Amino acid sequence: MKLLRLGLISFCICIMMASCIKDEAPNAEADITSCKIPSKALIRDPVITNDKVILYVNDSVDITKQAPEFTLTEGASILPASGTTRDFSSPQTYTVTSQDGKWKKSYQVEYVFNEMLTVYHFENVKMYNDIDYDTGKTKDFFQIFCDTLQGNEMEWGDGNSGFMIINSDAAATDYPTCQSDSGYVGKCAKLTTRSTGSLGAMFNAPIAAGNLFIGTFEINLTNTAKSTHFGVPFYSTPKELVGYYKYKAGSVFTDSKMNVVTGKKDNFDIYAVFYEVTDDVQYLDGTNSLTSSNIVSIARLTDKMETNQWTRFAIPFQMNNGKSIDQNKLKSGKYNLAIIMSSSIDGANFNGAVGSTLYVDEMQLFYE
Amino acid sequence: MKNRILIIAIPLMFFNSILAFAQQDRDSVLINLEKAGWEYEVKAGCNIGGIIPLGMPQEIRSINSYSPRLNGSFEGVVTHWFFKDKKWGASTGLRIEAKGMHASATVKNYSTEIITDGNRVAGYWTGDVNTKYSGTFLTLPFLVDYRFNKRWIINAGVYVSYMLEGNFSGDVSNGYLRQGTPVGEKLEFKDGKTATYDFDSDLRRFEWGPEIGVSWKAFNRFKLNADLAYGFDHIFKKSFKTITFNLYPVYLNVGFGYIF
Repeated sequence: MKLLRLGLISFCICIMMASCIKDEAPNAEADITSCKIPSKALIRDPVITNDKVILYVNDSVDITKQAPEFTLTEGASILPASGTTRDFSSPQTYTVTSQDGKWKKSYQVEYVFNEMLTVYHFENVKMYNDIDYDTGKTKDFFQIFCDTLQGNEMEWGDGNSGFMIINSDAAATDYPTCQSDSGYVGKCAKLTTRSTGSLGAMFNAPIAAGNLFIGTFEINLTNTAKSTHFGVPFYSTPKELVGYYKYKAGSVFTDSKMNVVTGKKDNFDIYAVFYEVTDDVQYLDGTNSLTSSNIVSIARLTDKMETNQWTRFAIPFQMNNGKSIDQNKLKSGKYNLAIIMSSSIDGANFNGAVGSTLYVDEMQLFYE
Repeated sequence: MKNRILIIAIPLMFFNSILAFAQQDRDSVLINLEKAGWEYEVKAGCNIGGIIPLGMPQEIRSINSYSPRLNGSFEGVVTHWFFKDKKWGASTGLRIEAKGMHASATVKNYSTEIITDGNRVAGYWTGDVNTKYSGTFLTLPFLVDYRFNKRWIINAGVYVSYMLEGNFSGDVSNGYLRQGTPVGEKLEFKDGKTATYDFDSDLRRFEWGPEIGVSWKAFNRFKLNADLAYGFDHIFKKSFKTITFNLYPVYLNVGFGYIF
């Protein structure tokens, strides 16, 4: 036994000699962790994603002379320096360099003060690109819908960046949300419920419904329905949502555990919500976009059918019980509006049929 | 599965033969062989150790737990003692052995991949990592022995191993993955969310390295042994780039032997 003990001790010494914990390496990350501008100017908390900062400001702000201040990952640096005065008539680029100097990330910093666009043709997309892990080169991954009107740009939100994580080799047209050539006029949006394979199943997200919404997407693995942040400031009273759709339900309906639910048919969803923004509710997400007590009015398509013909819809906004619109709050940007579309109505909870396809085109939001 | 059966079957066969021998008087053939300098031994032992980086990589911030597991080994050894004094000898044999460990560590910016069925998420992980490693090896040692006195023998040499089956897997939790690069999308794993990884098919089949040992004869035919084997090669194939630092198997085998 002595020998055994001796052996064990000498082995432990060996391990320790070889394996002392080294000094911590400098940080390799390069994030903007927060952004500060004079608080009176902001009507929302700053929206910070991995490569973008959006600042919703009231229209009294002179965006040609702005000096936002940033906090960064510890030890990282930013160019131009935090607090530099710049003209934000168009989005400005900042470059953050990590503490170890090996990694750089570009951020687009955008000031938004005008009304969001309300006419949507789905004619324009831009490509999301990032460094490809295998080649180390920049690669285009998926399409992002964007609409521009007289210098006013708007980018649609979707869940494609979540799909990309587990299917990085997929072609842009195999993503849940992409553009199609067969529009009602020109091109259109095509939303498809996709399987995410065994890796998706491991993340408890076996399917990915095609979705398109006004807002931003920030992946939340703990509660994926919270990844979708719906809504942007809206200064008018929304009245009606009008557009065209085509829909085909997938053949096999499955639940979140990928069990087949016989006899159940998938359906799509198109709706718009108008809600009040409060300190605790800066945006709605997939868990409360139809149930939050902040919702003032909803326009939701109920007369839905499977059809391969372009079908017009016109959905009036209906006020929630006991809710009214405060004109002062409306003017000062205290309300948000979101339009939300999905190829599977319960896709946020991963119930749906792979292959369900929703086409949407020529949509317009009427307001007064 | 076949390998598992083999692993159990071979030692059982060994033991049966030991018992059979022990019950009989020693064969005159054996006595003659011993006079000519030949010695036969069967050994049973336990491997304690782990796969360790040569010098702790900077990515590892703390080791939270480590368990060597119970890794059995069985071996048949042939030794030839030279000259009249029989102080120097040479041995070889065949060993079937298991090596393994469970370790959990906290890491920062640790390059890894989460893989299932060809789909994968690659990136840099900061947070907790649990690693399970196990392998079953068929090993040939080639050793030079030196006898100090009746009781103490030391030996040194090399060993060559072939991995019959191997497993390197684990999970990550309580942290975040930067997708692709340290500036990629941040995927947070919190509130008990975990993801698994599995690098079984990237393990190298052959392993070799130096082996040194010491034996103590407790009784006439009964020995206590301790042998340290250190693998010279990274446990993964050269083409495997996911884990950026090399890991080497270092195992101490402690056990007993019976000389015929």
